[in-house]
Amino acid sequence: MMDMSGQWRALAVAAMLAVSAGAASAKDVTITVWAGGTGPTDAYRLDAIEIAAGLLTREAALQGEALTIKVEKRAYPGWDDFKQALTLSAEAGTAPDIVASGHEDIAPWAQSGLIVPIESYIDLDSWPINDIYPNLMQIASYGGVLYGLPQDAESRPFFFWRPHLKAIGYSDAEIDALPAKVKAGAYTLANVLDDARKMQDKGVVKPGYGFYPRPLNGPDYWQFYRSFGGEMDDPKLGKLVFDKAAMGRFYKFFVDAVAAGVTRKNHIGTPFDQWYTEVATGKAGIWQGGTWHYARYTGQEGLKDFFGTVQFSLVPAGDKAGKPNTLTHPIVYLLTKHNDKAKMEIAAKLIEIASEPRINALHAIRSAHLAIAKQESNIPLYSNDRWTREATARLLPFANAMPNNPNFGVYWNVMWKGLESAWTGQKTVEEAIADDETELRSSLGDKIVIR
Amino acid sequence: MNSSKKLGLLLITPAAIVVVMLFLVPVVLTAVFAFTNMSTSTGISGGAYQISPNALQELRDHYDMPSVAERLSQSGFAVDEPGLAALGKAGIDADIVTELRGHIGETFAARRDAERAIRNLNHRPSLREVKQISDQFNRSIMNARYDSKAALLAAVASVMPNLSGAEHQAIIAASYTGWTWTTGNFRRMASIPGTQRSLVNTMVYVAFTLTLFNIGFAMVLAITTFYMPSRAAGFFRGVWLLPRISPPVIYVLLWKWLAWDTGFLSVFLGRFGIHSRNWMLDSGTNAWVFVVLINGFVGASMGMLIFSSALQAIPRPLLYASEVDGASRWQQIWHIIMPQLRWPILFVTCYQTLSLLTSFDLILLSTNGGPGGSTEVWALATYHTALNNYAGNLEYGYGAAMALVLVVVGVFLSLAYLRLFNYRDLVAKPLIEH
Repeated sequence: MMDMSGQWRALAVAAMLAVSAGAASAKDVTITVWAGGTGPTDAYRLDAIEIAAGLLTREAALQGEALTIKVEKRAYPGWDDFKQALTLSAEAGTAPDIVASGHEDIAPWAQSGLIVPIESYIDLDSWPINDIYPNLMQIASYGGVLYGLPQDAESRPFFFWRPHLKAIGYSDAEIDALPAKVKAGAYTLANVLDDARKMQDKGVVKPGYGFYPRPLNGPDYWQFYRSFGGEMDDPKLGKLVFDKAAMGRFYKFFVDAVAAGVTRKNHIGTPFDQWYTEVATGKAGIWQGGTWHYARYTGQEGLKDFFGTVQFSLVPAGDKAGKPNTLTHPIVYLLTKHNDKAKMEIAAKLIEIASEPRINALHAIRSAHLAIAKQESNIPLYSNDRWTREATARLLPFANAMPNNPNFGVYWNVMWKGLESAWTGQKTVEEAIADDETELRSSLGDKIVIR
Repeated sequence: MNSSKKLGLLLITPAAIVVVMLFLVPVVLTAVFAFTNMSTSTGISGGAYQISPNALQELRDHYDMPSVAERLSQSGFAVDEPGLAALGKAGIDADIVTELRGHIGETFAARRDAERAIRNLNHRPSLREVKQISDQFNRSIMNARYDSKAALLAAVASVMPNLSGAEHQAIIAASYTGWTWTTGNFRRMASIPGTQRSLVNTMVYVAFTLTLFNIGFAMVLAITTFYMPSRAAGFFRGVWLLPRISPPVIYVLLWKWLAWDTGFLSVFLGRFGIHSRNWMLDSGTNAWVFVVLINGFVGASMGMLIFSSALQAIPRPLLYASEVDGASRWQQIWHIIMPQLRWPILFVTCYQTLSLLTSFDLILLSTNGGPGGSTEVWALATYHTALNNYAGNLEYGYGAAMALVLVVVGVFLSLAYLRLFNYRDLVAKPLIEH
């Protein structure tokens, strides 16, 4: 029989064991996550990681591990300051654990070693990764290696203000049939200029408001290049492609729009807030925006009857060489390189859990983005939403993405500078294209095919 | 050394430290960076070796080694003896290794297939173990990162054992991810059309802002307030200091409210039937008018303060005497005031030229170089190159090369100004003393 002191001793030993065991398995981890281009409606980009942390904590608890995860979130509304902050913090060794950024960052950041392939940390066969659309997985890969997981998908369609189309003689049936006409290539960018002109002549929109594109640089403008038959890269060669003729026709479209008076010469630089209010209140006739704009139009801008007042379609073909198209610019969750492998494993798990269709649907619906996984359409929250349903069906099958190539940023800058200078009348289209070519030759050499 | 000299050294030390830390070190670093191809993708602190898609392209295009590139790009996983041996060392459970031995000779094209097979072993390895095992069986070096040349070559030898020394060197050069020394930045700068444009823009910007506002308007303010009663003079000087003490973002925002198509100018002119427009970005000329005004209103205050205090130092009897002699205000200004202001004018010209050359904050906030690059000055173009890229690849090296040009121009201009204003005479010891 054990005496009292023996019992106490046993208890003390047990308590010490419990405490030390607890210490051994208790783990406090802080995961930082940054997201670029993330406004208030995109909050689930970061919150999803937090939700995932809650789930992972529970999973760990069931396996006998007291894991507490603190998620530190940081949203950057713009892109420029975000990319500056991230690249500089990476150089300083203080990069966040998880980054939500555009897929085109994968190539330069993989080369610099800022990010690591996520496929080294996750099971590609496991749920929900095995349900993500293969083309999005492709966009999140570089050199055949999966670097990140898609966080959302979107597309950048044309929008038409229905009452204005009616004012220039369209019937309701014709407006309903317009997306199909665009898709068939029967309604082109030339028709866009015609209709915009008619709206202005009718007086339903002010001069310069007939065609009202995105007021600042963005991936959107590559769509017009493609509308005129341009290719951004040659996947077989693994090289970028600068198609002078297509680029020239794309520039000329905007020069023509200015000459016709349907787009303002000084349109670039219009504040985005002003632009949103204008397009959501019928001040513009035809415009080009993003699928996620739906959330802004119907939310902050107070557009009540979206489907009754707005029609949307692919970006029309520019000419016979091009095709109607749209561009998807998925945000991807990327895993940054750190010395603490165990922490990176946790970060990777959080990204994996955050890709759960039900969690991703929260982001899709809140921000009017499109689904990343097939099963998301079996979640009523997503499938009952008319916008995501119609936008997915009408746009996503025709969506391209920009190439993952470390030199694409240089090409993009040149494209944009040339467009801006032709659009604002600083250079003729021919001068702009010639200058583009000179600059691309001297900065990228044979890394770009010029034809 | 006597004590006053020691004291002098002591007093100058903090300033010397600041000059070294905030001027010399950045200039030296800029000069170093300017001769590299540094960017986000190369990183600043050094690189590694990686057979990336870019490296393969480099091998094909520059080293004429397409077959080597082809072989290096192949992916594949193989369960083999060396892999199994490595597993034992990595601390993988012996039972799992034994079970894997039964699969020896099996190959998989993709990671997914290999890991599926490993996961389905009877011993059900954990995710971490699956990754450890697949790593050991990975016979592809595509996208793997190696910290040293030796590690890279060892990996290359495992897939292509019979390469020559020259081929090894080519693979090392092509797969290096870090920055390298180059003079290419300057060649690129000389050959692209944007360079000349930014140079001309910078000259326009500095010349107009400096002559019209930083010197011209500052002088007008100083002289007019000099002839005013002191209370009124103080008030007007205070008013013209407001642009300088306002936070730049708010200051420029006020200009935008004035100039944008929904702003004050458009609304006001709309009453006279003039169509509303973005006056600031309407044309290159418009943008320049606003850029010069925005910068000039801030810049004028400094010259005003310096000239005003210099005016106070002019002996009053000179002015009284000239009035007795019947000199007009204009004659006073031209023959008495201006000659006395040579030194302050030199200082303001020098200082403001250099500060205008490197300042771009107000342009960035107002026109951001637009419309169509017409107000893109050199410093702004440098900023855009080095710290602004939509696709996440900031070009530090090229940006530094552009910044270095500014440093050289700045030093050259300072020397030229000193000569022009005869600096030696200005600092010569007065003949009266000693």
